[in-house]
Amino acid sequence: MKRLLLLVLFLVGLGWALMNYQGLAAQGTYDSLILDFREDIGAAQIENQVEAIAKTFNASLRYNSEFSFDDHIFVVQGDAKLLNTLKRSGIKQYVEYIEPNYIYHAYATPNDPEYNKQWNLRGINIEPAWDESHGKDVTVAVIDTGVSAVPDLENTKFVVGYDFVNDRADASDDNGHGTHVAGTIAQSTNNKFGVAGIAYEASLMPLKVLSAGGGGQVADIAEAIRFAADNGAHIINMSLGGGGESQLMQEAIAYAHSKGVTIIAAAGNANRNAAEYPARYPHVIGVAALDPAGSKAPYSNFGAGVDISAPGGLINGDNKLGGILQNTVNPETGESVFEAYQGTSMAAPHVAGVAALVRAMGVEKPDEIEDVLTHSAIAVGDDELNHYGAGKLDAAAAVKLAGHGKFSFRDFFRWLRDNGYLNPKFWIDGGVIALWPKVLMVLGSYLLAWVLKYYFPFAWTGSLATGLVMGSSGVFFLKGMYLFDAPQWPFRLAGSAIPEMGSAMQANGLLNPFTASVLIPLGLTLLFLGHTSLKWFAVGITIGMTVFLGANVYLNPALMWIGTGAIAQAFLVVNALLCLALVRLVLKPGVSST
Amino acid sequence: MSIHVTGTVERKGFGSGTWALVSTDGETYELHEAPKELRHDGLKVKARGQVREDVMTMAMIGPVLEIEHYEILT
Repeated sequence: MKRLLLLVLFLVGLGWALMNYQGLAAQGTYDSLILDFREDIGAAQIENQVEAIAKTFNASLRYNSEFSFDDHIFVVQGDAKLLNTLKRSGIKQYVEYIEPNYIYHAYATPNDPEYNKQWNLRGINIEPAWDESHGKDVTVAVIDTGVSAVPDLENTKFVVGYDFVNDRADASDDNGHGTHVAGTIAQSTNNKFGVAGIAYEASLMPLKVLSAGGGGQVADIAEAIRFAADNGAHIINMSLGGGGESQLMQEAIAYAHSKGVTIIAAAGNANRNAAEYPARYPHVIGVAALDPAGSKAPYSNFGAGVDISAPGGLINGDNKLGGILQNTVNPETGESVFEAYQGTSMAAPHVAGVAALVRAMGVEKPDEIEDVLTHSAIAVGDDELNHYGAGKLDAAAAVKLAGHGKFSFRDFFRWLRDNGYLNPKFWIDGGVIALWPKVLMVLGSYLLAWVLKYYFPFAWTGSLATGLVMGSSGVFFLKGMYLFDAPQWPFRLAGSAIPEMGSAMQANGLLNPFTASVLIPLGLTLLFLGHTSLKWFAVGITIGMTVFLGANVYLNPALMWIGTGAIAQAFLVVNALLCLALVRLVLKPGVSST
Repeated sequence: MSIHVTGTVERKGFGSGTWALVSTDGETYELHEAPKELRHDGLKVKARGQVREDVMTMAMIGPVLEIEHYEILT
């Protein structure tokens, strides 16, 4: 029954992972097609066809590069429609193939055309972070000059806000500042328009407290903070500051914090030693600004109250390339514009956006979110005046740190893929080997590694994963491979887990007590303890073997020379426990050699 | 309590921009709802006003000065 339950869980998980897997789907964008002409039809015929296509489809073909001449490989601008038309047309007989010219990305680069001008987003290492989180189901309150629904916020979700300046529900922006700040947090991204935002699946709560002139009363701001806390905001961004200490505001901040809201504020633009209020209140993450080179922006406040730093930009006269570019409104006309701004006002929403990404990963308490942000920041040495706080914001590291100890199907799926478990051969030849015990062992070793990772945090590396596979199951679908005129034992050996290797050559079902014991893990650990990456290979093997030996107590307690039954079971139990003890010893803080 | 500031009006490029009065001794005041006549970059002004401790701004460039009286010097 238990095994059935595990099986069902596994299948549900795998189905879920497959549905959410972007690897194959993400490569499916293209805006041009490849035509490979047959070599035997001659240059003249090819030329005719190229002209014919140009005429018929109003499309001009060109050689992909100077290396394409010999193979007659042409590229033409076109979409799925042209692809299908070409495939059905008479050209088909002259070509070897017509196929989409897929665009490959190292990471999911958004298709927003002005993204290339957002040096600030690459500066916080956003692309790897987007692999894991987009801020889904997180609400960010923007306490500012209001937020207007500009075109590049078309796909961005809004929740109900309020205008405390004019005391009305509509909190649109008559200044441009708030809409710009909201854009950095959650500009519609991958919408083939404008620019990108950091947590583009988060919801925005617009709260207007600053007038068209850019100033506002402390009383309104304090009310807005309470409104946000009472209406489901998870994160508050305040790109504003100034004035004196206010009991009212301090209490509002303490209230929001007690309700689990993470509060972020700009440090101020006076190049002064100490952040402005509200950044300097307790429970508020104060943000200093960086210029495009990653140094303190000349205007940014520093010192007390600065907790972290993020890109704020630097505009040099008419050259606005160093500013932060977002979609906002022109205060004179109210029309949509893409404008570059500078200031700690622009730095704070970077932190608020990443806080939303972190929260969407499951880290919910404001103090924990602050810990994740500050611990993952890139520390700056010799920062005696505290220009940078804990360091420079790093979105990818923050999201990764937030994911520690979390069971992520994405992790699991990536690991399955990287290790060949998703090879179709595995499913076809499943009958040749005892499939489900193997699957359980894979799953078991992954679960054990995950549990250990929770208590003794370590990085998930390729050598660890390889070790896990080799220790628990081997690349087991290989066992079902047979090649003509080739001996099968190399496949059997490669397809065996390490504990099975002692008997894999003979192809009998019994385990060799020398390989199916703590001896190999112990040897590997002693050998590789001082090596940074091979150490994790040894850890992986030991974890994998723990599961293998433990599982075989029930599944197949049969050993060479020892036989079956209670003695074999006792042997396996003792060795599984010894393996576990070994892993624990290696992972225990203080034993690390790195 | 009113203060007297003599200095130059400057346009500061934070956010959508704001008006500042930079005093001759180097202190930068952010002008609260700057009077229309003062909105000229480089204008020399002698002003009297209140520092508003209860006002916060998007520009955050210094104390917020609400002008009560001014005299344009150039």
